[in-house]
Amino acid sequence: MNDRQYNAHTGGYDVQLLFPVLFLVGIGVVMVYSASSALALKKFGSDYFFLKKQAVFAIMGIVVLVICRHLPYRLYRQLSYPLLLLALVFLIAVLIPQFGVSAGGAARWLRIGRFTLQPSELARIALVIYLAYSLEKKGDQLKDFSVGFLPHVFILIIFSSLIFKQPDFGSVVILGTLTWLMLFIGGARIRHLVATIVALLPIGIYLVMSAEYRWKRLLGFLDPWQYPSDEGYQIIHSLMAFGTGGIWGAGIGKGYQKLFYLPEPHTDFIFSVIGEELGLIGILIIIGLYAWILMRGIQIAKSTEDAFGSLLAVGLTIAMGLQVVVNMCVALGLLPTKGLTLPFLSYGGTSLVLNMASIGILMNISTTRRA
Amino acid sequence: MEKKYINLREILIGIMFMLLLAFVGARAVQVQIYDGPWLSKKASNQYEKSFTNNGRRGTIYDRNFREMAVSIEVTSIAAYPMQITDANATAEALAKALKMKAKYVLQKLKTDKKFVWIKRQSTPKETAAVKDLQLDGIDFIPECNRFYPNTTLAAQALGFTGLDGEGLEGIEFFYNRYLKAEENNYTVFKDALGNGFKAEPDTVTLNRGNNLVLTIDSNIQFITEAALQEAVNRYSARSGISIVMQPKTGAILALAHYPFFNPNAHTDFDKELWRNRIITDPFEPGSTMKIFSAAAAIESGTTTPNTIFYCENGAYRIGKNVVHDINRHGWLSLQQIIKFSSNIGAVKVGEKIGPKRLYQTFRNFGFGEKTGIDSPGETTGSLSYYKQWSNIDTGAISFGHGISVSALQLICAVSAIANDGVLMKPYIVQAITDHLGKPLKTFKPQKVRKAISTQTAIRVKNMMKTVITKGGTGVNAALDGYSVSGKTGTSRKIDDNGTYSTKKHTASFVGFTPSENPEIAILVIIDEPQTEFYGGIVAAPIFKQIAQDTLNYLGIPPQRINNKLRVARDSETRG
Repeated sequence: MNDRQYNAHTGGYDVQLLFPVLFLVGIGVVMVYSASSALALKKFGSDYFFLKKQAVFAIMGIVVLVICRHLPYRLYRQLSYPLLLLALVFLIAVLIPQFGVSAGGAARWLRIGRFTLQPSELARIALVIYLAYSLEKKGDQLKDFSVGFLPHVFILIIFSSLIFKQPDFGSVVILGTLTWLMLFIGGARIRHLVATIVALLPIGIYLVMSAEYRWKRLLGFLDPWQYPSDEGYQIIHSLMAFGTGGIWGAGIGKGYQKLFYLPEPHTDFIFSVIGEELGLIGILIIIGLYAWILMRGIQIAKSTEDAFGSLLAVGLTIAMGLQVVVNMCVALGLLPTKGLTLPFLSYGGTSLVLNMASIGILMNISTTRRA
Repeated sequence: MEKKYINLREILIGIMFMLLLAFVGARAVQVQIYDGPWLSKKASNQYEKSFTNNGRRGTIYDRNFREMAVSIEVTSIAAYPMQITDANATAEALAKALKMKAKYVLQKLKTDKKFVWIKRQSTPKETAAVKDLQLDGIDFIPECNRFYPNTTLAAQALGFTGLDGEGLEGIEFFYNRYLKAEENNYTVFKDALGNGFKAEPDTVTLNRGNNLVLTIDSNIQFITEAALQEAVNRYSARSGISIVMQPKTGAILALAHYPFFNPNAHTDFDKELWRNRIITDPFEPGSTMKIFSAAAAIESGTTTPNTIFYCENGAYRIGKNVVHDINRHGWLSLQQIIKFSSNIGAVKVGEKIGPKRLYQTFRNFGFGEKTGIDSPGETTGSLSYYKQWSNIDTGAISFGHGISVSALQLICAVSAIANDGVLMKPYIVQAITDHLGKPLKTFKPQKVRKAISTQTAIRVKNMMKTVITKGGTGVNAALDGYSVSGKTGTSRKIDDNGTYSTKKHTASFVGFTPSENPEIAILVIIDEPQTEFYGGIVAAPIFKQIAQDTLNYLGIPPQRINNKLRVARDSETRG
């Protein structure tokens, strides 16, 4: 890998990423409008409130994608610790009431000027970059528990406990799974990995039982129809949205569940709104587009000779893939409710911009991989 | 770590994601295709609310198109309890705005029902107050409220409707299917906050019912009610009823009951007051029946108004029973029997013509059968078959005891005498019009039968005139400028123990005017007057007042001043 080779491949954009991503972002803007207009009208007096912001985020996302596409990805090796530190600062800041913005009983947003930022999203990317860097650097030392395994888990625990304080259990699970999978790819001992799961299981159970809302969510998940007006409410209405949509969907803008039945129709439950308005056809197309992006991400990782590039590519793909799968599973009642967004589709600036950044990075890796 | 191991594991991750996505896709197929119909139905149960709009009930007009009953649009306040998050706060806010008990409202909100009424037909002020609260899960449903602009006027005849707009009493009940608008079922789509989308309720067109035009004239009704109210109060009576009818057509001009009730708030009044007692309640008529006994006698051909009967000097024994007259009479002509209202004379008349003829004549006049008036709950009265009559029965029935009739039957029968013997079917609605006022159906006067010959009718009519002359029982009914044919009635009421009361009476007067060309027939019945009890004293003056005012209102010119039928009213006679 050298400078000459970078330059040789900075020409085009990876169409196999660009097409599905832009397609999803396009659908996202339309569906955010459809899902949020009633809510926006009631809360802000304009049905375009979320649409306008999401459109701005999309443009910002495209700009960021272009920038990341052209930034040599090996730059992130040097940036891994600063980024980690930045994410840490943000995660601490969000817990301080003066900076944090609460919504629905959780402080998940950080106010910076006119913007709000979701530090857990940044933390995820920072963690991926750090893990790719660290796993590449340590190489064969990964087999060693204290050198190869523990430091990564240590960083994870710091991040997790801060995010946990928000509280954002969903992001913790994603970060944990992400780290675990990256350690697995990087070459950590299977023994260590299995042992972690065995050790984490009772902690996880304790955490679920310790917070009443998590326990209720689990109950609501296991038997939503038993608790139709409280714990099972979200799942029931999400399922109703899918059921009403059927094969062909009610048509864009014609769904009913978004009309204050479904909470967060434009963020956490945008998949349900799509299910109702675009039907099974729309759902399968969306799943197909994600599959395409993920396959392309894996393919880029696989064909990149550079270990850092490969690990970075697979890490970004995993981070995105986990987010997609978990969000969809929640919407379809396969997992308990979590406050996770659906990449490219859900309303939210941080999520959209950082996911576009991930795609930009993947594109950069893609153009340099055959060096 | 070799790159090929990394590659292998990356492929594994790729496979894992593909499997997960395939799983998600399979789940989507399951939810959207297999569970789809079930889920979709569940969903529509939540956002679809079906309503039945009763539409706008038709208006009831009097004969001059004055509004007697109208429907006005009002708002009812309802709630969707499922959509209310803080039932306590909502209940308290509603209770405050509607001046209801918070506990009562909370009880309504805490049901499992999807829809509950909070307040039906609220006032505009209440509606505005609740709207200002901007509560989630509260809805405003347009409805129609029945309103009777003349309050108590003709209330028993009109009846009233329930909250759902169904007629429950009177004409409202009898003509319900015409007045009622066609039901309009519509579905409203509601979001989780209870706000409507798609078809808003107020964009739904209200169907309209048909209108009724009554034969009742609200002015005559008012005249009648005012006279009745005054008399009932003057004699501290229990109640009173009065009818004004056109004898030639059977059209009813006034149907008055006192005490009044207000149909706008009927629940505030005793249920006993709601009934149209003129039609539904039978009573023992007493002396007013003597005119039909006389009619039967004349019609039989054996008797003329001048045929004389021996009146036994005031006491006449039939088996174990003794019939009394108030004034002792020796020989009286049939005309005098009517004029002085002799019971013994009437018994003698009955004995002369026999029960069969008496019965048949009474039946011809419509006693013992429904008149067929267009109002609910009509009584037939009771007139047993003549073969079951004993001698005393025949005697008693001859002077109006041992028989019961409705006030309506009585006025119809008297009207037949006024109408040359032709019995007309009474009616209260003369036309049904659609909401634009176009007539759908008109009701013409209907002849029931010829009860007696024209000649007999004229003879009876003239006998009835003498009742109002000096020495007759009905002099108090005499009018300035108009001739009157009439008959007084005083009957003792049957006590709770089944014997005739000495204290409780029914005082009545029935008659028509002008005698030669009757325009109006009037019946007045005062129930249990306290200070006086004779029909000639209690009821006859009411007849006079109603007749005078009505003739004046109708613009019927007085007869010539030198008319012989003008009477001196220098004495009051009882009977």
